Amino acid sequence: MKMAQGSGMLITYALGSCIGICLYDQRIKLASLIHIMLPLNMEPGRKNTMKYADTGIRETLKLMESKGASRSRITAKIAGGAKMFEISGGNLGNIGQRNIESVRMHLKREGIQLLKEDVGGSVARTLLFDPATGMACVRSYGRPEMIF
Amino acid sequence: MIIKSYDELSSLELDTLKEIGSIGTGNAATSLSALIGKPVRIQQPEVRIMEYNEAIEWIGGPEPITAGVLVGMSGQLSGIMLSVQQLDFVNLVLESMMERTIKDYMELGEIERSALTEVGNIMISTFINALSGLADLDIKLTVPAFTVDMQGAIMAVPMAEYGGQSNYIMTIGGNFICNGKEIPCRLLLSPDIRSLNFLLRKLGVNSGE
Repeated sequence: MKMAQGSGMLITYALGSCIGICLYDQRIKLASLIHIMLPLNMEPGRKNTMKYADTGIRETLKLMESKGASRSRITAKIAGGAKMFEISGGNLGNIGQRNIESVRMHLKREGIQLLKEDVGGSVARTLLFDPATGMACVRSYGRPEMIF
Repeated sequence: MIIKSYDELSSLELDTLKEIGSIGTGNAATSLSALIGKPVRIQQPEVRIMEYNEAIEWIGGPEPITAGVLVGMSGQLSGIMLSVQQLDFVNLVLESMMERTIKDYMELGEIERSALTEVGNIMISTFINALSGLADLDIKLTVPAFTVDMQGAIMAVPMAEYGGQSNYIMTIGGNFICNGKEIPCRLLLSPDIRSLNFLLRKLGVNSGE
């Protein structure tokens, strides 16, 4: 998880089925960017809690609050959750969609407004977030840059 | 049975995986050679267990665009195998089979994608056949899937499928030597943890205590 305040572009590369979550408190210009890989953290005491949607969002919000952010002001923008391969035979390859649903659900549960999202499809995304402006930018291969 | 994760493997277990990697890539080189009609051998095949971020570095970073062929495994070994086809490899295949080369993956048409999928599929299949022969395992493979996109995102697929279990992946590298050129071999094997342990037991090296 990366954090910046006021300046310093936050970037996370090559989000495939993973989701990049930008959380932003506009008043104090505090921004964090989480790169989650999986929808749910099933085991307590795991080391890398930031790669799961539920514990990643929850712990990042706590960290932001400890730096003076207010949950009621924090907004979210997300990107990712693509299906990189069309895999035959059922279960493999649906993790992107499960991540999208889990992220939306946990943001709602934590009372965070989801402003914008660029999710799904089959292309990988590099996500940038500017703490000075609160704008997110998505770069993908074979697709024009998206700013939201 | 003790379930060991990747970072708990003993040196004997690692050596055994390396030996399999060596034999498997030798077979893959032979099948590649038959497909492209040129002699191909594998130089310094190397099997390593890498942490995800290390594997991204090994492949050359997360953003560069590459082609990837993915095959799912089931039966006595579950998991995913991935053949990462970087530009030099793609051009080796296209030049041999179609007398053309590309500078950008956008130039790949249906026929080229088909050819690359098939080459990746056959390499993975011969590798897995070697593995199943050595370990006496019955392994079923899915139809191959192909994509062109950022390397990091392609490699995240096996990591995400088994990422709840491990931060590690098995990388199978080395160089294919063809007509004096060195072309990187980049295969990734992500068995699920139970399968990995079962494999090692079948090979007679898992010290289940």
